[in-house]
Amino acid sequence: MTDQSRNQMTRRTLAGLAVGAAVATPVFAQAQAPVTLRWWSPQTAPAQREAYTFQIRSFEEANPGVRVVFEATSDEGYPAQMAAAFASGQVPSVVTHLPSFAVATYWANNLLEPFNDVIQAIGPDNFYPGANRVYEITPGQYAGTGIGNSAANMMWLRRDLMERASIAAVPRTWDQLRDACRRMQGGGVFGAPLPFARNSMTSLIFICFVHGAGGQIFTPDLQIAVDTDPFRNALEFYKSMREFCPPGATGYSWGDSLTAFVAGATATGIYTGRVLANVAAQNPRIAPFVTCHNYPTVSAQVPHWTFNDFPSVMIPKVAPNIAMAKRFAAHLFRPDGYIRQLHAAPGHVLPVLKTISAMPEYQANPLIEANRAAVDLMSESAAAGHNLGWESTAHRPNTKAGQIIASHVLAEAVQRFVINNEPIGQVVATTAQRLEQLMRA
Amino acid sequence: MAATNPLDRRDAALGVMLIAPTVLIFCAVIVYPLVSALYLSLFRIFTPTLQGSFVGLGNYAELAASPEFWRSLLNTAVWTVLTLALQIIFGIAAALMLNQAMVMRSLARSLILFPYFVSTVVAVLVWRWLFNDLYGILNHLAMWTGLLSMPLDWLGSMPNAMISIVLVGAWKYFPFVVIAILARLQTIPEPLYEAARIDGAGAWSRFTDVTLPQLKDVLLVVILLRAIWDFKEFDLIYLLTGGGPVIATQTLPLMVYKEAFGLNEMGRASAVAVAMMLVMLSFMLLYLRVSRDGERK
Repeated sequence: MTDQSRNQMTRRTLAGLAVGAAVATPVFAQAQAPVTLRWWSPQTAPAQREAYTFQIRSFEEANPGVRVVFEATSDEGYPAQMAAAFASGQVPSVVTHLPSFAVATYWANNLLEPFNDVIQAIGPDNFYPGANRVYEITPGQYAGTGIGNSAANMMWLRRDLMERASIAAVPRTWDQLRDACRRMQGGGVFGAPLPFARNSMTSLIFICFVHGAGGQIFTPDLQIAVDTDPFRNALEFYKSMREFCPPGATGYSWGDSLTAFVAGATATGIYTGRVLANVAAQNPRIAPFVTCHNYPTVSAQVPHWTFNDFPSVMIPKVAPNIAMAKRFAAHLFRPDGYIRQLHAAPGHVLPVLKTISAMPEYQANPLIEANRAAVDLMSESAAAGHNLGWESTAHRPNTKAGQIIASHVLAEAVQRFVINNEPIGQVVATTAQRLEQLMRA
Repeated sequence: MAATNPLDRRDAALGVMLIAPTVLIFCAVIVYPLVSALYLSLFRIFTPTLQGSFVGLGNYAELAASPEFWRSLLNTAVWTVLTLALQIIFGIAAALMLNQAMVMRSLARSLILFPYFVSTVVAVLVWRWLFNDLYGILNHLAMWTGLLSMPLDWLGSMPNAMISIVLVGAWKYFPFVVIAILARLQTIPEPLYEAARIDGAGAWSRFTDVTLPQLKDVLLVVILLRAIWDFKEFDLIYLLTGGGPVIATQTLPLMVYKEAFGLNEMGRASAVAVAMMLVMLSFMLLYLRVSRDGERK
């Protein structure tokens, strides 16, 4: 072999190696490429984000090469974001804290991965009895699972203002509530922060009032049931409360309503247990006087009705890395991370695992300890709670509930009657007609 | 006649090659979405799955019979006309002021552009705080000065909601008018004003007889451009009122969004978008005609 040929060989060999390396690099890089999971949630308070970061870190440590990215959505914005994600195929890997009725809508359109094996991984016996019933839309198959319970329409009261107004008993009926609000209102304090906006909160609160009047939006076999006395009474009650609410309540959503009570601008509040943490952090002066109760109903004969949106976990069917997404979904229930998540807003999201509720680590939270009665009441109420997707234990799951809430048809009924002063018959007829269209669509 | 010379053929091929990227990009970003919207509007489509059935002109028939569509169109017209009028009035006034010799004129010229440059989300958050019933400075001042005894509901009742969005829209976009008008003002020959003064014209006469005619061309273009942009405004209105109360401030772009993502009716949303496009097309034709007339002069 001559020097020249040796040089040529060397050059050829190097060139070959270079080409080989160039071809092999993407393959190698692909093999080593980290798996990225996208986690969406509308629950994004700073303390919750910290808990999520802990859960993400512990999962990444346990699964080298996997990266989890948290992306925020919102209670008002998720229908649009999810619709766009599904339509484009760019779906998140795991979605948490959406209401169960949203899960039902997506499941009904064959967009979700069955959750049975995730529930199996968490341990079906660890859940409270019946905790997953709302997700069993197709018999034997679960569309998702609960990551928490919530009691969205608890009544929060200022005892100091009650005393000042010489109100001895907690209002049980709507008449008593109106009377209490009238007597406590004044000096820059309004009676209640009820929303009158065209948003999901107004729809959800109105549903609570319809049930508080002894009615329902749909019959158990999902026939529209709004042309009824309870529906009309709920509208009348909502309207009668307008004079006790701040003028800007026409634009209130969850955050505004919460802030109004926490800031001391209203004598009563209507919200989940997030009130506890926010009062402690933002207005501790009123903390000793704040108490929690079930929201009044039209009469003592009508039982309380709690709106539990059953905050969920779900996985879109077309999500990449389904197996890893399922593993991450199960990881969210690991006690160290799950308790942190629950403690980030004590009483706001309540545990769905009875094993967690019983743990001393969960109990050992200063806010939960200081407000034991309130937390117990919320837990008990949420456990018996329902929402538009499942109005009572007798109801069939309503897979159109998500669209009904997103359409704002119920919030618009409130606005038409309360703000626009349209005749109640016309409001009821329009609402029934639009619900009919939505159910038929 | 076809190019027979090889050199000509090569030149022709080169020309086609050079223009091809532009044509392809135009097709991708203009023609495809347009055809897609027209196509989708003929179907009833569930947004998340993009599956549905052909309904022909059914979506258009539904729209024509829908009071919500006509109310949204009316709202769009009211919003566009009112906010545009205020933008033009404030824009000309500010431009005239900034054209005068004044202390710190450069700083003032820079600062006046601030609303136009600030993000809409930030601007809306600031305005929502100003309008807030419990903590907002506007209600606070009005009550402190005795103008109001109770806070005013700026965004949740009519006609306040429409007035509020019109005012915020005018505040946000009038700097665009200022930029355009100020640039033109600086090119008006000074002798025209001197001649007017010699003829005994006062300030108002000089404005109506000298300044306004000189501004006419640029003003027409500004009005047409802003009318098109205001007509399709979404974020400012959506973030301020969400279209409420009920649908009192719901404009057509908000209706498109609601249909597509609230009700998951992508077909009907596309039909509204096509209807919007037809209205905007009339603006565009007007604009082209004005541009052509300007060029002829």
